[in-house]
Amino acid sequence: MDVLIQIVASGLTLGAMYAVATIGLSLVYGSLNMLNMAHGAILTLGGYICYAVIVHAGLNPALALLAAAFVCALVGLLIYFSAALPLLRAENFETNIFIATIGIGSVIENLMLKGFGPYPIPQPLAVGGQVVIGNVHIPLQNVFILGVAIVLMVGVAILLQRTSAGRAIRATSMNREAAQLMGVRVGRVYAQVLALSGALAAVSGIMISSIATLTPVMGGDPMLKAFIICVVAGLGNVYGAVIAAIALGLLEAATQYVLGVRWSFATLLLLVILVLIWRPYGLFGKQQVVRL
Amino acid sequence: MAEAALEIVDASAGYAGRMVLDAITLSARKGELTAIVGPNGHGKSTLLKAISGLVPVTSGEIRLGGSRIDRLRPDQIVERGVIQVPQGDLLFPAMTVHENLLMGAYANSGGLAERLDFVFALLPKLKERRNQTAGTLSGGERRMCGIGRGLMGGGEVLMLDEPSLGLAPIVIEHIYEVIFNLRREGRTILLVEENAVRIAEHADMIHLLDNGRIAWSGLGAELMARPEIVETYLGV
Repeated sequence: MDVLIQIVASGLTLGAMYAVATIGLSLVYGSLNMLNMAHGAILTLGGYICYAVIVHAGLNPALALLAAAFVCALVGLLIYFSAALPLLRAENFETNIFIATIGIGSVIENLMLKGFGPYPIPQPLAVGGQVVIGNVHIPLQNVFILGVAIVLMVGVAILLQRTSAGRAIRATSMNREAAQLMGVRVGRVYAQVLALSGALAAVSGIMISSIATLTPVMGGDPMLKAFIICVVAGLGNVYGAVIAAIALGLLEAATQYVLGVRWSFATLLLLVILVLIWRPYGLFGKQQVVRL
Repeated sequence: MAEAALEIVDASAGYAGRMVLDAITLSARKGELTAIVGPNGHGKSTLLKAISGLVPVTSGEIRLGGSRIDRLRPDQIVERGVIQVPQGDLLFPAMTVHENLLMGAYANSGGLAERLDFVFALLPKLKERRNQTAGTLSGGERRMCGIGRGLMGGGEVLMLDEPSLGLAPIVIEHIYEVIFNLRREGRTILLVEENAVRIAEHADMIHLLDNGRIAWSGLGAELMARPEIVETYLGV
């Protein structure tokens, strides 16, 4: 029983972190048909900004989290205006933006390397203490991560389902031309989605660095897993991505316990291959999804 | 004669490297039903897309109430009151009927409750289906939802692109009953239809579009009195 509690607790924490990292990526793909390869670098930037605001500026951790989300949202906007907007008007948008965002991600990573150095730094935004369930000691940090992730996911769900702006985002992802005929300014929607994705990436970066450490290249692994989750769920399907993230987090925790840490990523990839053979458009994807 | 709500003056439009519309001039007068008929692939839908700002107008002008709209973005054109119900509905399939209707009022949400009541009174089936996702509706219901969504925009000009396309005759009859009722209520309607016979009796003005040009304009009765035109261009 204790083992099960341990696996569920670890799996939910991992899944929550992956979900927050994946939502932004999925929203951007759903709206713009754009694989944002700078997502991992933005995620890392969020972690570093939080660190800098707490350690160097001496400000409150809550302010640091907000500052990181704000700056990364601005980076999202910068990507829209500097790369996505000009490339949207040209042919081969998907390929061109894929390459462009690799470049942008590389620039951000190198700026962080120059600014903070290559050595791992601990994330100061951490919650001490632990919760004991049975014989299992669960760090409060994990509970905190789960709580923040749930708040963010509920917030995003309310935004998408209950607000006019959210409906416009969903409408644009379903059919850009129809959304335009409803009076939606799709360019503004794209900018909003990239800003939101940037802010979510920042929070995700803070979460991940709080249970690991900050390094300029730390975003690579979560971004790769976020892509895997997106593909398993069906590219662009936000709610499917959340479910897939939690499921894959639990699977990863179970694999780590049963087979060892080195098998977790291989198991994840094997599962992706099986899912894609069974359902090429992902678990929640639809064959006839209209892409932009 | 009523004044023009929408005027297209010597307008040419098309896609990159391919002109579809060649110096089109026509107008949709206030409170009237103006129909564009013609064979498939000769520019009828492109004309509506050009009016909505989805296809660039390369020369000439499009005016709404005397003001040019041909350089505006699609969302700005919707805000000015030109609403299009596109061919094939283009509903948002994962949204409910209610959400689709709300999207119709996205650019102009004033008097939302009254507009919803109006749409539900005109198309009661939509009220029954309001919580159903649009992707699960039947063909006729989808078309009703598309029209209802267009009406939610509360615009000055309602443009409908082949609302009968692919529907069973009985459903088509109902759809046109709704459209003709809107006309009787004084709506300005610009209707694209392949089957001229279907709308000849009710249209205030018919324009025949052939190869991107206006080949003939006149009243419905006049068109029906010209069998050579009907046979040559419309294959009826």
